[in-house]
Amino acid sequence: MNTMTINGRVEPLPDDPDALLIDVVRDQLGLTGTKLVCGGGVCGACTVLVDGVPVTSCLMPARAAVGKSVTTVEGIGAPELHPVQKAFMAHDALQCGFCTPGFIVEAAGFCDRWRAAKGTAVPSREEIGAALSGHLCRCGAYDAIYRAVADACAGRFDGDNFASPRIEARDKVTGAAKYTVDVRHDGQLEGVILRSRDAHARIAALDLAPARALSGVIAVSLLSDDRIVRYVGEPIAAVAARDRKTALAALAAIKLTSEPLPAVIGLDAARKDDAPVVFDRASRKKAGNVSEAAGGPAPWKQNVRGPTSVFARRAKRARNWVNEARQANNRLLVEGTFRTGTQQHACLEPHAAVARFDGAELTVHASSQWVVHLKEQIAKRFKLDPARVRVIADHIGGGFGSKAGIGAETIAAVELARAANAPVRVAYDRHEELSVAGYRPAAEVKVALLPSDRGELKALSVTAHADTGAAINSTIAGLARLMYPAEAKDLSDFDVISNLPPGAAFRGPGGPPMAFAVEQAVDEAALRLAVDPIALRKRWDPDPNRQRLYDWALSLDIWRNRTSVQTGRYRRGVGVATGYWFYLWQPKVKVEVAVKGGRIVASTATQDIGTGTRSVLAETVAREFDIEASEVEVRIGDSSLPEGPGSGGSRVTASVLPPTLTAIQKLKAAILDQATRKPAPGSNAPWRELIARSGDIAISETRGEDGKNTAPGIRSPLKDLGLLGVVFGWMMRRNSNIVIGAGVPSSVQVIEVEVDTWLGHVRVLNVHTGLAVGKIAAPQLAHSQACGAIIQGLGYALYEAREVDPLSGEVLTAGMEDYRIPGIADTPEIDVHFDEAGFDHVLGNSVGIGEVATVPTSPAVANAIFNAIGVRLAEIPIRPDRIVAALKGRTAA
Amino acid sequence: MSASSPTIAGSVPEFRAAGTDLSERRRSGVSRGPIVDLPVTSGTIGIDWAADGSARIGASTTISAIASDQRIRDAYPGIAGAAQGLATPQIRHLATLGGNLAQRSRCWYFRNPQIGCLKKGGSGCPARSGNHLYHAVFDLGPCVAPHPSTMAMALLAYDATIATDHRSRLSIPDLLGNGTNGAADNALEPGERIEAISFPAPLASERADYKRAISRTYAEWPLVEICARALVSGGIFQHVRIAAGGIAPVPLRLTACEAALEGKPANAEVIAQAAQLATSGAKPLPMTGYKLELLVGLVRDVMERIAK
Repeated sequence: MNTMTINGRVEPLPDDPDALLIDVVRDQLGLTGTKLVCGGGVCGACTVLVDGVPVTSCLMPARAAVGKSVTTVEGIGAPELHPVQKAFMAHDALQCGFCTPGFIVEAAGFCDRWRAAKGTAVPSREEIGAALSGHLCRCGAYDAIYRAVADACAGRFDGDNFASPRIEARDKVTGAAKYTVDVRHDGQLEGVILRSRDAHARIAALDLAPARALSGVIAVSLLSDDRIVRYVGEPIAAVAARDRKTALAALAAIKLTSEPLPAVIGLDAARKDDAPVVFDRASRKKAGNVSEAAGGPAPWKQNVRGPTSVFARRAKRARNWVNEARQANNRLLVEGTFRTGTQQHACLEPHAAVARFDGAELTVHASSQWVVHLKEQIAKRFKLDPARVRVIADHIGGGFGSKAGIGAETIAAVELARAANAPVRVAYDRHEELSVAGYRPAAEVKVALLPSDRGELKALSVTAHADTGAAINSTIAGLARLMYPAEAKDLSDFDVISNLPPGAAFRGPGGPPMAFAVEQAVDEAALRLAVDPIALRKRWDPDPNRQRLYDWALSLDIWRNRTSVQTGRYRRGVGVATGYWFYLWQPKVKVEVAVKGGRIVASTATQDIGTGTRSVLAETVAREFDIEASEVEVRIGDSSLPEGPGSGGSRVTASVLPPTLTAIQKLKAAILDQATRKPAPGSNAPWRELIARSGDIAISETRGEDGKNTAPGIRSPLKDLGLLGVVFGWMMRRNSNIVIGAGVPSSVQVIEVEVDTWLGHVRVLNVHTGLAVGKIAAPQLAHSQACGAIIQGLGYALYEAREVDPLSGEVLTAGMEDYRIPGIADTPEIDVHFDEAGFDHVLGNSVGIGEVATVPTSPAVANAIFNAIGVRLAEIPIRPDRIVAALKGRTAA
Repeated sequence: MSASSPTIAGSVPEFRAAGTDLSERRRSGVSRGPIVDLPVTSGTIGIDWAADGSARIGASTTISAIASDQRIRDAYPGIAGAAQGLATPQIRHLATLGGNLAQRSRCWYFRNPQIGCLKKGGSGCPARSGNHLYHAVFDLGPCVAPHPSTMAMALLAYDATIATDHRSRLSIPDLLGNGTNGAADNALEPGERIEAISFPAPLASERADYKRAISRTYAEWPLVEICARALVSGGIFQHVRIAAGGIAPVPLRLTACEAALEGKPANAEVIAQAAQLATSGAKPLPMTGYKLELLVGLVRDVMERIAK
């Protein structure tokens, strides 16, 4: 029999010529630290060492490993952590952790070779970037990865004197952390989904019997009663079989006859008068939702839904002023049409669910951003008692908005588990993940910005058409209401529906495209008014948080030393942009802080998608009791715990910190009250002693209302909307369980780029981000969040765009080589400035970072490019084709 | 997609070297036939040097072995640069020179198992009428996908020859054809295997360089790529060879550019003028015109570095 040696053990290899090394490692040997992500050798998550050399196990035939020595991440950290693992932990060089094992394997190999050749010399950023160029991290942990690898090579982590700000970091750097895709019950089946191949069709006949007849196929279920499919990839049925290969064979055996209907693909085609209609009146409720909240009513004609203009103010007046200015050739009137690309979430852990019935009890492991909500959705859809449904998400390999609600993976897993009477796993492959798992819709945003003669902002008109696919409820233009007060604002949002997969909420939904358009228009206005762009924002934007950030930005050397448009091949420029997001919190959130068996335990049914929620809770409890975070047990990721918040809308910290703090105070009192012996006078750790001696006590507290904010200018953004705002706030609270709090989390970014005018390449040299998000609960994790948000924003600005076939509606960028997210070598130096004021009225004083930090990145890049080359790029991503076209005065394809 | 349902060859065996291309097509279902693993023998792996300074590289030699071989880097810097510039470190450790030459197209229509195309036995090119953002700007044949092999492009600049188990001394045009056969990625006969690649001895003190234009820093298929060689003798360009990839169904020599540089002073003005000729004969598709500017920019970039 053929064998290999893996982590020191000899193991057999299968004869199947199609077996790949990763299949053996993960499925046969259960070494789930090695992750399957792209399946194409692009992302590096599956990297293992073969005879000491890093290779992608997702592409390497198992046969090729015969007689070789293979080391997986489990072998790197045994018996003692490698210096690279310690450095990743200490520098917080990870977030969701799904890419981390691959990075660790590669970096450990690099570090060992480097140390052997060069001792403790420090590798340069360029050397590290090249060595790790075969790895992708969607959370954007690159900034810390640079530091971790450099320090490990320099010998700074040879000892054991280090600490990690992330309490689950050890599990993530050793591959021990279990994600949904790693869950494996006895007798577990593999489920796959039959999807529409047509962009628009009527299903004439569907015969599942041939699939059921195949050996190894246990269950075949319909996923929908709808006989119309409206996009390529729409789920139709699902199959559970003993393994994936059998399940795929069963899918191929299903006899599906469909009658194609006229289809329409994309923003421009769907707006034509004679375009085929995607949703007739009766089927409109089947449309998806691209926003984090429920939407209001809006006109809907053919494929265009809108305008939604509830945020407008004196819209007609704004339109009239803009028209007059245009007719008068007012040179201060800034007008432009901006286009943004479709951004995929591209979570490295795919959408996945494992469902298991134990009698009437249903347990679902799911890669979910909101276990409580998912539990409720499952109970409702399958008519189950919510008390008998449990959703578990220990670790989640990224979400970014795409895993906030029930999806086809969960529906199929539950349906099949019920039909098969066995546990079933459904995990999307990369093609599914990059086509039907949601995206930030592309948009066309028309802006007209009119300053008054005195240089004030007189009128702002923003009209946005969003390419939402089979979904609705985009708000882009409306977000322009809550900054830059003007005498009149005309703000209209339209959804343009077509036969493409539905969009979904994505990190600050609507914020980045609004900012990309409006922030470039403000930049242009500054040019025409001959005012410093930051100074103009300071004049037009009275928000007290951003006023402080403008002062910080004005003081930056990079800003003060910036020059005007350059000539020559390489041209550098500096740009600025502003962004905001809402301060949201979730009512009814409960946190239990307890002494159990002499240990402190904090529990709430929230989840950690890589943002650091576990650690924020542990740090908070540890700080209050003056103990170490590692002494605190945090229980999250389980819907059976006290109701916790969804990991969306940057709401987690602001929702869980206040009840945690209250519970701690009450628990302290209860511990003292029940203590039979007081701590020794002068004890260094009185609480440690008290906790160890205490009987079991549990305190559960609910998130209370914030205090009245008295600071000038700090108020709920809804107050600006008058009665409408009150109604809107009430609806948000009632329908979406979200409160929009007072004060506006804000970000101002200053970015320097270098444009290679010959090759159209944009290199981002450095990013300075000022963030006003209140008191920072966990500084290193907050820094990681800020950097990650910027790196995702740079991807949005420069590289990322879903491309589709205009005829068939197939997503063409359904692999990681064609859907291009930033790599480590694309990462600039990032300087993060936290301004901690402005949220003293908030219980806990902290609000979220994740969304606000990504909003201004793309316009800051575009403004920097304008500063460098004197041409305004009105469309993202700003790829080489668009740069060379802009320099030639052409319109790019 | 029922109208253009793809027919995927089900019985023709495919050779597998390291599998870095094939494994992905197996996973997606684009390749379904039998696999024949290529045996690695002493004749197909490693780098051998002849007395005249010429090299022979076995087809099973990995890309990283070529990129890191000091003698290759000294004698054929354009080959080493091309090897270092392609794919990712982990792929370069696995992938072989022969596999790189014989790999299949990276066209996103070809790679999609649901879409029919010429290379899957279909009758038309869906990219031509569809989304061809990354496709050819020299429209030479019915299929508009650019040839994926960076190494083939570099071999063209070096006048390298390929030995197979059927034939010897194939040129790159012999191996890959002229771009008019949209159904194939190469002109190998059924069952024919690449065994080794031979390089003429380098000219004394010749210079060479490789570069690709991409949107990110690393690990991206080239929008356009160039491998160029020249002697600079007394400030004059001689023996100029420029090959380009990413622009046509096969790698192309930029002969008009070469002629404009041959015997001319190796300075920026001459290069800038000559680079404009790189686009001679181009036939852009509606979405690929930008590649011409990148091509000109790359010629300037690479030739300026060679001139230094």
